[in-house]
Amino acid sequence: MKKICSLIFALVLLGSVYAQQRKVTGTVVDASENTPIPGVNVLIKGTTTGTITDANGKFEISAAPEDVLMFRLLGYKTEEVLVGAQTQLSINLFPDIETLSEIIVVGYGTQIKSKVTGNIAKVGGEEIKNMPVPSVELAMQGKAAGVFIESVTGKATSATRVRIRGTTSLSGGNEPLYVIDGIPINNEALNLHGGAINPLASINFNDVESIEILKDAAAAAIYGARGANGVVLITTKKGKKGEATFEFNYQRGVSVASNRRDFMNAEEYIKFFRMAGRNADRYEMRLDNAPEEDSINYDFWQTFVEKRLKRYSGHAAILDENGNYLGSAVNTDWQDLVFQTAKNTSVDFSARGGSDKLRYFTSLGFTEQEGIVISNGFKRMSGRLNLENNAREWVDLGVNMTMSVTDLKQINADNAFANPIQAVALAPITPVRDTNGILYDRPTTTYYNPLRHSEYAHRKINEYRNITNAYANIKFNKMLTWQNEIGYDLYTLKENHKLGELTNDGQNGGYGFSNYGQLQTFVTKSLLDFKGTFGDFGVSAIAGTELLYAVRDRTWVTGERFPMDAFITLDAAGSITEGKQTLEKYSFLSYISRATLDYQEKILLSISGRIDGSSRFGKNNRYGFFPAASVGYILTKEEFLADNSTISFLKPRLSFGKTGNAEIGNYRHLGTFTSTQYNNVAGLTPYNVPNADLTWETTNQYNAGIDFGLLNNRLTGEIDYFMKKTSDLLFEVPVPGVSGYSTMLKNIAATENKGFEISLTANILTGNLKWNTNVNFSYLKNKVTNLAEQEIVDPGSSRFMNVLMLGQPIGVFYGAEYAGVDPTNGDALWYVNGPNGVDSLGNRLTTNQFDEANFVVLGSPMPDKMFSITNSFEYTVAGFKLDLSFMFQGVFGNKIHLAGDPYMAASGEWFDNQLRSQLNAWTPTNKNTNVPEARLIFANGTESRSSRYLEDGSYVKLRTVQFGITLPKSLLNQYKVNNIRLFVTGHNLLTFTKYTGWDPEVSSDAFVNNLRSGIDFYSPPQPRSLVFGVNMSF
Amino acid sequence: MKTLKYLTIIFASIIAIAACDRYLDQDPYQEISEEMSLSTDRNVQAVLVGAYAAMNNQNLYGGLIQTISELLAGDGEIQFVGTYSGLRQIFNKETLVSSNENARATWLQAYRLINICNNVLSALDVVNQGNKARVEGEARFLRALIYFDLVRLYGNKTYIDGDTDNNQDLGVPLSLNPTRGNPNAFKIPRATIQQVYDAVIEDLTKAANLLPLTNNYYATKGAAQALLARVYLQMQKYALARDYADSVIRSEQYSLVPNYADVFNQNEKTTEDIFVNKFTPQTRFSAMTEYWSVPQYGGRDGDIDILNGHLNLYPTGDTRRALFFNGNGAMRSGKWNNQYGTVVIIRLAEMYLIRAEANFRLGTAIGDTPLNDINLICQRAGLGPNYYTTITLSDILLQRRLELAHEGHKLHDVKRLRMNVGTRPYDHPKLTLPIPAREIQAYLPVVLVQNSGY
Repeated sequence: MKKICSLIFALVLLGSVYAQQRKVTGTVVDASENTPIPGVNVLIKGTTTGTITDANGKFEISAAPEDVLMFRLLGYKTEEVLVGAQTQLSINLFPDIETLSEIIVVGYGTQIKSKVTGNIAKVGGEEIKNMPVPSVELAMQGKAAGVFIESVTGKATSATRVRIRGTTSLSGGNEPLYVIDGIPINNEALNLHGGAINPLASINFNDVESIEILKDAAAAAIYGARGANGVVLITTKKGKKGEATFEFNYQRGVSVASNRRDFMNAEEYIKFFRMAGRNADRYEMRLDNAPEEDSINYDFWQTFVEKRLKRYSGHAAILDENGNYLGSAVNTDWQDLVFQTAKNTSVDFSARGGSDKLRYFTSLGFTEQEGIVISNGFKRMSGRLNLENNAREWVDLGVNMTMSVTDLKQINADNAFANPIQAVALAPITPVRDTNGILYDRPTTTYYNPLRHSEYAHRKINEYRNITNAYANIKFNKMLTWQNEIGYDLYTLKENHKLGELTNDGQNGGYGFSNYGQLQTFVTKSLLDFKGTFGDFGVSAIAGTELLYAVRDRTWVTGERFPMDAFITLDAAGSITEGKQTLEKYSFLSYISRATLDYQEKILLSISGRIDGSSRFGKNNRYGFFPAASVGYILTKEEFLADNSTISFLKPRLSFGKTGNAEIGNYRHLGTFTSTQYNNVAGLTPYNVPNADLTWETTNQYNAGIDFGLLNNRLTGEIDYFMKKTSDLLFEVPVPGVSGYSTMLKNIAATENKGFEISLTANILTGNLKWNTNVNFSYLKNKVTNLAEQEIVDPGSSRFMNVLMLGQPIGVFYGAEYAGVDPTNGDALWYVNGPNGVDSLGNRLTTNQFDEANFVVLGSPMPDKMFSITNSFEYTVAGFKLDLSFMFQGVFGNKIHLAGDPYMAASGEWFDNQLRSQLNAWTPTNKNTNVPEARLIFANGTESRSSRYLEDGSYVKLRTVQFGITLPKSLLNQYKVNNIRLFVTGHNLLTFTKYTGWDPEVSSDAFVNNLRSGIDFYSPPQPRSLVFGVNMSF
Repeated sequence: MKTLKYLTIIFASIIAIAACDRYLDQDPYQEISEEMSLSTDRNVQAVLVGAYAAMNNQNLYGGLIQTISELLAGDGEIQFVGTYSGLRQIFNKETLVSSNENARATWLQAYRLINICNNVLSALDVVNQGNKARVEGEARFLRALIYFDLVRLYGNKTYIDGDTDNNQDLGVPLSLNPTRGNPNAFKIPRATIQQVYDAVIEDLTKAANLLPLTNNYYATKGAAQALLARVYLQMQKYALARDYADSVIRSEQYSLVPNYADVFNQNEKTTEDIFVNKFTPQTRFSAMTEYWSVPQYGGRDGDIDILNGHLNLYPTGDTRRALFFNGNGAMRSGKWNNQYGTVVIIRLAEMYLIRAEANFRLGTAIGDTPLNDINLICQRAGLGPNYYTTITLSDILLQRRLELAHEGHKLHDVKRLRMNVGTRPYDHPKLTLPIPAREIQAYLPVVLVQNSGY
């Protein structure tokens, strides 16, 4: 600290040595907004003498009359003024309309885009405004190269998966760190039932000014042990000096499921299962080596099918006079009953303005989105107040505060019988209701009828969130500021269920559940911020500390035996069956520093270092150091390119940095026992295997990039190549079960993500018809490079085939390779593969015994190529401004495991309604097919770990289309309205894919984790929406 | 002035940092350390409760151990019609593969229970003198109970008395010490069938000497002796089986419940129960209910149909037949309709059946004659006081089959009596569970030998 101080003094002194002549003072203002500009470089041309303007745009410099003063600031055109006789100057700087001059938010500060040496993608608030999605990250989908974003399912309340430059972690978190206005916020769902919800949905993204995504390590390393998955910095709108501007947005629309699957109707179902029963009997004969004449004795399954058909038809069964089943009077389309046309509404009001000293932004928002699946929906109410106050000459105070309430109608996770989508498994011959009008259930339905949940279950989640931060920035002088900030993210969740007696879990007089969860995150930080110019050198530096402390507690109670369904609170429960409380705490203590240096604003250098300590790490590894360095060179500032007519901007950059991933759970380094109980007596049971070496996962990332502008910056772009090497990856390593444990968390593995990203923006037409195109493309190759001593870690699941394998992407699909159907008997076949996979002639061998098929790599669950292309047009006619933009977005190279298809495309193994594809099953007259013979009960090729149930998941979607009309000012002025824009937005209107499931953009919320992804299991598709709205400002 | 400001900053920073460091030491609230868990009498006894909780698990005596036995030997008397693919594989046998999820779950949970027992046995030094014998006895009982089922379900062959193959055929890995440090060091090879049986008998013999006559819901002397009777019967060592069964009967701790139906679906232990698995609403529900019952009692869809092939075995008037009920379109076992009740593991009737069978085979009448023992069972089943006037071995075995139906004995009796399951002989490789594929993977590069059918 002392050293920094003396350095500052020395530099200040150095500057004053040259100040000999007379004093010139002045003010620099923005010519377009007439506001003072701080931080402008004032330089005597041809010398290294200079100063910078203060917060009020004022400067003071000693200069001779013949000196020429240069006023330079990135983002503005440089001005030159001869001093002459003047001692009082008033300088107007004109903004340089280049995208490269944008201000970019970086970790713990801001920079001008052209000076940034790391890789940061910026998404403006305007780009995401009014998107018909629940949460901020979904609104960003396709807006940044190398950033993969998907909603886990099409449920309105679903969690999202965001992967910045690929998946790195096997057991830890893979989601980026989210930071709102400088405060790292919680992104952990606290609900206990159903799929994880999305805590970010509690944030109103119409309040967002900009989102910066820190992709490379040079940008993210300042977040140290939490930066390895990238960092998403969300900056909310701040006040603006001047008269209040009011903005009002209103929109309304509808959504529907973007796809349906094709299931059998009643007639097909009956015919198909009678065939499956016949084939089952015949197959059993084959197993028993029984002669054909015994077939009269083999009728068990045929009889069984007739009984079941009758049973499943309920009151709709049509029987002959002998009671034989003839058919069903109904043809129920269960799929149709669980999807709905969903309405959505969003209203948003904001005001911003302020005086010289005090500026404010405030907003209120309301959003309601019904789910495309019955019983599902999302509502949010939110408010925000952001204040900035220049309290004294030496101190700025400010506060950013938001409060929100959400109200979610949540449905069960994908794997639950009560998941509405699972209704597709019910037979089309089954009537929806019995003769008393009650929804049918088992034994008439094949499984629990999930529609009952829509009539007899209340499942509700409310989230209450307050994110507040307050700061005081103390300015010691023009160059040195001391920033102090405290932040508090209070996230409270209430989850209440009441299942009536007619639901599957409510048979004991109803079932009630109440969960109260709270996560509090406190952050305090104290930073010294230095900015200065010394001759040709621009210096900025920060140094400080940050403490983050989080407390998570949860209390939940379940009860049964309610007097009647009408009681929905646990107060009425006759017996409390479970009552629990858990408490967890964790902390991070960090020391932060960064220095950036530029020479003549063309050679740029940045170094940073962060030390992070965390309660999550073992004693032996409590503190980690995360350094980063980057350089950039703006070649267009050199003479040989300065006046080049083609190349208007060119900046190569290089960076290296180390980041960590501390999302490893709490207390995992300790060897522990936890509580349990038997016969109502409390006990202890082994819980966690100790590991004192447990530590964060480390990512070393290298990035080489180039920023360029061509043809007067009409075409600008960025190209980056990166390599992320992650080591010490935590993994729940399977250990011999004989030890009494099944896994142990260890830092064992390593992965690598390599790839490149291209981002281009072209202003193709700039006249009255404006045409702007933006293209993002990224390629990513992920592979596991170390698995301790193992070649493969296979959790050994019979249902899922994601494994870790050396040299392959994380979670690669590994299973039997389906070889179609044996034309002679209809048996499913798999390739034998492995050492005995070919015969002496080199022919590939097949087997009808699944266990004889050696597993092989079948594909990756993560796409290796992603792109988006956005075209925007603007045209003014008769004062009306028309705007049109549409974005196509796509991913390529991934496979999806249709893990629900072993039930719905199962060659009639059980009575689940089957996809119509199964009608093509093998028969003696249909031998040329890849659908095995239909056989009830005798699984024929329905093993889930087979390429039979794996499909290409590539898709291209017309993600958004927006068309707007802005009314002419002349028309509005008389009503004192500044602006009215009417618009219509379409979301997910078209999907191009070969995938036969509901939606390739899906991952089951019941099964997905770091290892297991690309799984579709009765997961609803994404909504397709059409929204009409108006933006108004006055 | 300036200096003062800087000093303030530095000073404030130091204070802040010094105050913050303590935040990095966070201890869990829901867990305690391994050392503490085994450090006192009270804690070790709590770990012993943890062993019962592990036993209670659905993958062990909460349902799967019994159900696997019934399904694997299921043939013509029951039909699995549920959707759990693992159970369906077990019932079909043909499609049973080494990745079977139930074979995996039972294996993992079994060794979890064993490790807890080993932990308790390693910490007997801190147990108070007054509790020590009981604590040791209970841990040995539970360990023997699970090893006996492991070797019967996963052993490559069944135990044949006097066959030297018992010393070569593979049983299961025998872990008798607690796991400490890296679990990867515990790649214990499979012991022979003989070695596992020896360990079971050693534990049970000691437990029978250590345990008290009564012990609430926990293991007793009677439970250890009853299990010994069962073990020796399985080994075809009839004299020992008979003597232990006789000893339990004569201990006068147990008596048959007058009505057969009252043996089941109880909330509390009955007079007939020797050892039960107790469910409460605070534990998970019994998986016996889930697999065998129907939705109205908390069951699944009615996953296991009872066929006429079984129902027709009962004579007219048999109250054991009356316990079956029609639910969800088929006949169901009526033994498992209380999801939060007790699941019987050993009951007195089995002891009469063992004593009768062993006496008959040996031509003795220790305790009582086989005829009287079987007639006692039949009388309780509503068949009158002297249902049999003379008795044969097949009568005894039939009564055993009816009395203990769907309680988890089927597979083991099939193997002991060298019967067939369908066309498969008792020693068919598919009548043994596979060593879970995950375990073979986790052992690599050490080879854990798979069973011959997989």
